[in-house]
Amino acid sequence: MIYAVEATKLTKYFGSFKAVDSIDLKVRKGEIFGLLGPNGAGKTTTIRMILGLLKPSAGTVKVFGVDVAKNRKEVLKITGYMPQRFSLYEDLTTEENLRLFASLYGLKGRDLDERVGELLDEFQLREYRYRLAGKLSGGTKQRLALAVALVHKPRLLIVDEPTAGVDPPIRRYFWEYFRKLRQEGVTILVTTHYMDEAENCDRLALMNRGKIVAHGTPQGIKRLAYGGDIVELYTERRALLYLKSFDGVKTILNKDVKDGVLRVKVLVDDASDRLVPIVKNLEEKGVKVLRANQVFVSLEDAFIKLTVGD
Amino acid sequence: MSAFLALVVKDVRQLLRDPKTMLMVLLMPIIVMALFVAGYGGGGGEVPIAVVDLDGGKISWQLIDFLRNVGDFRVDYFASTPEKGEMLVKKGKVYATLIIPEGFSEDVLLGRKTRVELIIDSSYAHISELIWEALNAAVQEFQRKVSEKYNTFSITVNKRTVYGPQVTRVENFVPVVMGILLHLVPMSLIAVSISRERERRTFEQLIVTPINSSDIIMSKLLAYALITISDMVVTLWVSVELFNVRVKGSFLDLLIVSSIMLLCSLSLGLLISVVSKNQLQAYQTAIFLFIPSMLFTGFLTPVELLSGEVRLISKLLPLYYFLRTFRNIQLRGWTLYETIYEVEVLAFQTIFFLLLSIKLLKLRVE
Repeated sequence: MIYAVEATKLTKYFGSFKAVDSIDLKVRKGEIFGLLGPNGAGKTTTIRMILGLLKPSAGTVKVFGVDVAKNRKEVLKITGYMPQRFSLYEDLTTEENLRLFASLYGLKGRDLDERVGELLDEFQLREYRYRLAGKLSGGTKQRLALAVALVHKPRLLIVDEPTAGVDPPIRRYFWEYFRKLRQEGVTILVTTHYMDEAENCDRLALMNRGKIVAHGTPQGIKRLAYGGDIVELYTERRALLYLKSFDGVKTILNKDVKDGVLRVKVLVDDASDRLVPIVKNLEEKGVKVLRANQVFVSLEDAFIKLTVGD
Repeated sequence: MSAFLALVVKDVRQLLRDPKTMLMVLLMPIIVMALFVAGYGGGGGEVPIAVVDLDGGKISWQLIDFLRNVGDFRVDYFASTPEKGEMLVKKGKVYATLIIPEGFSEDVLLGRKTRVELIIDSSYAHISELIWEALNAAVQEFQRKVSEKYNTFSITVNKRTVYGPQVTRVENFVPVVMGILLHLVPMSLIAVSISRERERRTFEQLIVTPINSSDIIMSKLLAYALITISDMVVTLWVSVELFNVRVKGSFLDLLIVSSIMLLCSLSLGLLISVVSKNQLQAYQTAIFLFIPSMLFTGFLTPVELLSGEVRLISKLLPLYYFLRTFRNIQLRGWTLYETIYEVEVLAFQTIFFLLLSIKLLKLRVE
């Protein structure tokens, strides 16, 4: 299988500091893949190596099967990149920036005019087309940066912290736009240190101190952190006699009784499979269940759990 | 529009929109020319001297009068004794004291051998040389006049120059001004170009597009050449039209060698830009490189007066070849073909700097 991005044993030293430590990364075609981790975890270094902006100390990167070290130009032709901080020419206007980058990606004549027009409309930049990029507001700058990254209709979009220091409406706009792009078949690799945002990703890799500590779907990572899903039940005390014997129940995490009602948190292997049978089984034994639900675990909790003692 | 042309347009736009750059490009030639003309253009000043006239006769007065009228000197003091005359020099009141001995008039009238004495302040080598030469010339001229009048014997030396008449000081400085404007200004201007893109992070976005390092180097060369070529034309035009500098060779030849020099300076500046880590370092390198150019290329001192080892350095510096070929055309009236060696070396250096820049420019952010 050809991955959109396939990094193998990718390593980067800065002097004696190991910024990225032998990571393996596989981004599937057409998914939104998140590289999640705190500042300094090595996310930017990783994507810079994917783009050939940094030379890996060891390891290889392939983008759609093309080795970046050997054929960087082919990779760049199908890849769009939006850096973490605004990197366009502030002394050129919105339109001049778009036209410049369209030309650099080889667009010419009418194709170029059409594409620039499309992007001006798509990202609501038309009213700012003659304004210097340096004089745009933060949100408009971000939209322009995304437009430039997409000017050549790339198959892979790499976005570094698109939402850092950006207002909530624009953050939401970005994620909606990423989902739209995914529908069009674009693969998106996005880094973020906002754990709540990462829930939007199809799959994630959790980075810390240059290493990938976990990867999988957001759900999968949470399961990995806790060893399963957490289910919360409000029921009778008697339930404790039976709970442990049910299929899929791993352990009872905590319990307390209030006004004769038992509140118990149970770790199960898969909440969506087990929740209904558990309630059913209890009721068959004559135990009343007042409420049963899956406990929402944040990725942040999962991250902390996974990196504790690291 | 191709990627290359798009980059040229982009760089030209950025330069035109940068007021500091444009001020430097547009005002530099005028300011530099004006300074040189103000300093060297008009008639020279007068050097103050003192005279100790121990003779007090008719001929000694004629000599003093003659010196006063030569124009280079101003007799500020008449001292009564040679010791007082020497003190005036030592205190820096005057640069020289002329001592006319007792019996000077009598000796001259009788056709006897005589002498005058000169005390010179040699801490200003250039001025003391000037006084020495001028006084010698004045005394000789005076001797000739006296000998005609009193019918005594004298020898005169007739000086004949090639490439005369005498080159004016402004004309002599045109190559130097061109050296500054075609070397230092474009070199330091372009030296910061790539590190500025790095510092503003635009470099990162630029190099994730599928372009070559030669696209970046050549587009910057062309854009900066388009902007700075005005310096060259303005300077040449101002020299010829406003300051009446004569160009003995063809004006077109001058334009051609100046353009090659401009490209060479820009290429060297690009090389600096490629290897510099930041703008400050690039500026410093450019200025540091200009120092040997100033000292060793005939810019201030003739290259022939330098030691053999240093002359080897001279021959590595583009300005050396430019000044030679420029003087050949401007002052000697040679054609481009007659001074083709220097032009070839300049062209070769330009290509060398460009190729090295392209080779060394890494499309990475580390």
